[in-house]
Amino acid sequence: MSPRKANSATKHEESTSELIEDRGKLMALIDRAQDGDEEALPLLRKVLDEEPRVARIVDLARNVERSIIEKMTGDDVFTQEAIPRNLKAMRREIAGEKPAPLERLLAERITVCWLELQYFHAIYTQNLHNLSITQSDYHQRRIDKAHRRYLSSIKALAQIRKMGPAVQINIAEKQINTSG
Amino acid sequence: MGWESRQRGGLYYTRSRKENGRVVREYVGSGVLGRIAALEDEHERRRREEQAAYWREEQQDHDALQGAVEELSEASDFLVRAALLASGYRQHNRGEWRLRREPKKGQ
Repeated sequence: MSPRKANSATKHEESTSELIEDRGKLMALIDRAQDGDEEALPLLRKVLDEEPRVARIVDLARNVERSIIEKMTGDDVFTQEAIPRNLKAMRREIAGEKPAPLERLLAERITVCWLELQYFHAIYTQNLHNLSITQSDYHQRRIDKAHRRYLSSIKALAQIRKMGPAVQINIAEKQINTSG
Repeated sequence: MGWESRQRGGLYYTRSRKENGRVVREYVGSGVLGRIAALEDEHERRRREEQAAYWREEQQDHDALQGAVEELSEASDFLVRAALLASGYRQHNRGEWRLRREPKKGQ
C-alpha cells in the first residue's frame, strides 16, 4: 500500500462529526482531495451533506445584513423596511430561476458584500470634508477590501455556474431558510 | 499649556505650540483673559478627546462588521471548493478548475 493510501485508510476512520467540529481537519480533507486522493471524496461528500455549518452560513449572512442595515439607517424606520425589500429582489435576480442551494448561498453572499461596500462608501462620502489624510486612507483601504470581497463573491458564483449542474451538492437544504 | 506662577506673584496663562519643529510658548495673559483662554483650550481638548474616542469606536464597529463579512466569504469559499472537489473538479495551479481526468481502463 502506498503511503498516501495508508494515510487515507487511517484518516477515513475519522467520524464525520469530528471533521465538522474541526475546521483544520476539513481543510486537510479538502487538500487531500485537491492532491488527487480519491478516498477523500466520499468523506468530503458526506461532510457536505451533514455539514450543519452550511445552514449557519446563511444565518450569518442574514445577521450581517441586519447589522449593516441598522448602522446605515439609524432611527429611519422607513429605510429599515425598504432596504431588505431591495436586497430580496436583488438576491432573487442574482440567484435566478430555481437556483441550487449553493447558488442561493452565493447570492446571499453577493448581496451582503454589495451592502457592505455601499455602507463603507456612504460613510466615506458623508465624512469626506472632516477627514484627516490618515483617516481618509483608512476609509479608502476599507473600501478597497470590501470591493475585493464583492468581486470574489461574484467570481465564486460565476465559477459554480460555469461548471454547470454537475456541481449540485445537497448542502443540508432542509436547514437553510432562504425565504425573504 | 497651563498657568505659570510669576516671581512678582500671580498666575499667567501660557500656551505651547510647535512651529517649524520648535516649541514656541505664547504668553496669553493673567486674570480674566487667562481664564477665558484656559476655558477655550480645555473645551478644545475635550472636543478632540471625544472625536478620538468616537473614531476609535467607529473603527471597532467597522472591524467587527468586516470580520463577519470575511467569515462569511471564507466559509462560502470553503464550501464552493469542497463542492467542486466532490463533483470531480480539481484546481489547476491554484487557478482554473478543471474536471479531473478519469484514469484509462487497464492502467
